[in-house]
Amino acid sequence: MGEVVIKADNLSFNYKESKEGIHNNSFEIKRGEVILLTGNSGSGKSTLLKCLNGLIPEIQEGDISGDITINGQEYNKLKMFELNKDIGSVFQNPRSQFFTDESTAELVFPMENYGYSKEEMQARLDKLIRAFSLEKVIGRNIFTLSSGERQKLALATSLTLDQKVLLFDEPSANLDYGNAMKLGLTIRELRDKGLTIIVSDHRFFYLNGIIDKVLFMDSGNLKIYESEEEFKNGDYNTRSFDLFEINTPFKKEKETYETVASMKDVSYKDILKDINIDFNKGETTVIVGSNGAGKTTLAKLLCKTYKPDKGKINEKGLPFFIMQDPDYQLFGTSVHNELTIVKKDEERINKLLEKFGLKEYKHTHPFDLSGGQKQRLQIAMAMLCDKEVIIFDEPTSGLDVTSMQRVSGEICSLSENAAVLVISHDYEFIRNVADRIVYIDEGTVKEDFMLNSETVLRLNSIFTKMEEAACK
Amino acid sequence: MKALKINPLVFIIINVLAPSMYIFIKATYLLPFLMIFSACVLLLMGRFKRLGISAVIYVAMFGVYSLFMKIEALNFWGLFVLILMQSFPCAVLAVLLVSKYSSAELLSALEGLRLPRPLVVAATITLKYVPTFARELKFITESMRLRGIKFSILKPISSFRYFIAPQLFRCSALSEEVTAAGLVKGIDAPIRRTSFFEQKIRFSDVALLAVFLIGTLGGLIWAK
Repeated sequence: MGEVVIKADNLSFNYKESKEGIHNNSFEIKRGEVILLTGNSGSGKSTLLKCLNGLIPEIQEGDISGDITINGQEYNKLKMFELNKDIGSVFQNPRSQFFTDESTAELVFPMENYGYSKEEMQARLDKLIRAFSLEKVIGRNIFTLSSGERQKLALATSLTLDQKVLLFDEPSANLDYGNAMKLGLTIRELRDKGLTIIVSDHRFFYLNGIIDKVLFMDSGNLKIYESEEEFKNGDYNTRSFDLFEINTPFKKEKETYETVASMKDVSYKDILKDINIDFNKGETTVIVGSNGAGKTTLAKLLCKTYKPDKGKINEKGLPFFIMQDPDYQLFGTSVHNELTIVKKDEERINKLLEKFGLKEYKHTHPFDLSGGQKQRLQIAMAMLCDKEVIIFDEPTSGLDVTSMQRVSGEICSLSENAAVLVISHDYEFIRNVADRIVYIDEGTVKEDFMLNSETVLRLNSIFTKMEEAACK
Repeated sequence: MKALKINPLVFIIINVLAPSMYIFIKATYLLPFLMIFSACVLLLMGRFKRLGISAVIYVAMFGVYSLFMKIEALNFWGLFVLILMQSFPCAVLAVLLVSKYSSAELLSALEGLRLPRPLVVAATITLKYVPTFARELKFITESMRLRGIKFSILKPISSFRYFIAPQLFRCSALSEEVTAAGLVKGIDAPIRRTSFFEQKIRFSDVALLAVFLIGTLGGLIWAK
């Protein structure tokens, strides 16, 4: 292995306003290594990542101590712009990833900041377009790109200055299985070109076989696994590197179902064609398909956000829709008030607060809750609303394995009194919650089956198909 | 006719100057002048649909104003509508500025003014915040609908609370994200910024600015 690129010695950071932080982290990262940075939510992964790209202490208040160097130079002697010539960052959230709203502008943006001449920019741009096959991405509004295309653009943008170290913040959170596997291949190629890559993520199946070292965070303390093998043999639930090997019991099929909503021959623009699905009380239906297959459009049709061009949707009232980002959906002044907006039923509200461990946060503002608590509050709201259809959009994106299992349990109990519809890419989660699988591809329902020991191979082959399509 | 591409700098200057001119110049002159001016800009840029929509909004506001002024109890609100009407032409140009130009183009334009770097960065981040906020707003109104929370004029305080509180909380998170996006791409580099989309000041830009200045200056003299 090559020389040391990044070295941290007793690195600590404490936030001004919370107890979270990182304590005495020491590690070395060598040239050409692929590093996985993982741990549970709130363990300090993002803090460490922000220390690595300089956002701490640049925009985060707190106390930093210890040393961190890149290519032998101390971080605290480098300005942000000097550091970012060496380190490229790929964020999972498009809001923090993209500064402009057009793909070409985004690609040249760092070069403009560093004063490149127009000719240099054009030459570099052409090279990036070739290297990342960006022909179809160039010159477009970033918000019209698919998540796979956005990922490619984010990656290319972070390499415009020919950076040699790449940081990824939860890259798989918004990617379907196929695109995540493709990202794994890209990371392998970049490593072969000599780049050093640090990936912070809860899910890591797409890095199977390419990890050189694992930095495992636990309450701000770092544990280092010197190889992928050592990590796999460790005591952390590695959430299975080989997804299809997981062994989760299947849910029992019920004898009768009561249909509470249905779509009959529904078509919408050129996104969905002749969709026929019944949604039954007591059943959790998972919609699977690649990014852009029309899954969210289907949910929005049920929510009457869009009107179908053809066909009919039968349902009583609006469904309860839990979006990916809870911040858009919370309007109350306290946790208790949030629930009373749904229904003024003191007795049930108190029971739910108890059940979801939110009793002590009764008077807290919803925005002051942690991500996991916000999600629990939303599920409590869904239980209280007594609606017949409840929709979840990617409920496990960005969740660690323990939180994922907790949400699975909660969704299963929710489905006792409602038809639950879940949009998800997360294979492990799907195996935990699904009664039924609906696979959407090219705007039509390609498969619709009950999930059990006999049909699990059909689910696996859907995932393999998505991988083949993405990696073509 | 080919749509005219106007240097964003022209818009920035006009947007800074125009609203403050109400202090010096009579609204009876300035308002019609700005109306005609912004309508011509929209025409020159080929934004016919926007011109139509703006005209409809303006006529509607004028209707509401006239109605309110006829009813004594509503006179106060009538004056409020009048203030909105007076800022309308500037608002049209401001919307054009943030919707038609990308943040990269704005940054290049501001660089051209040779302002201090921190000011340019702050201004660009603020300008970038507007479209982001507009996008967020769509999500919020949609989820208000799904939650059955209605934005009602009859309940202004509670509607406002549901609407504004989440916005304020998002502001701090959003501004941090937008700043991070700029910082990791070297927005703080103390190097003379170049521009891939560089726009030279053209004759049309100078002419437009001259028309604006002569118009407002004329107003100043006429007001005397």
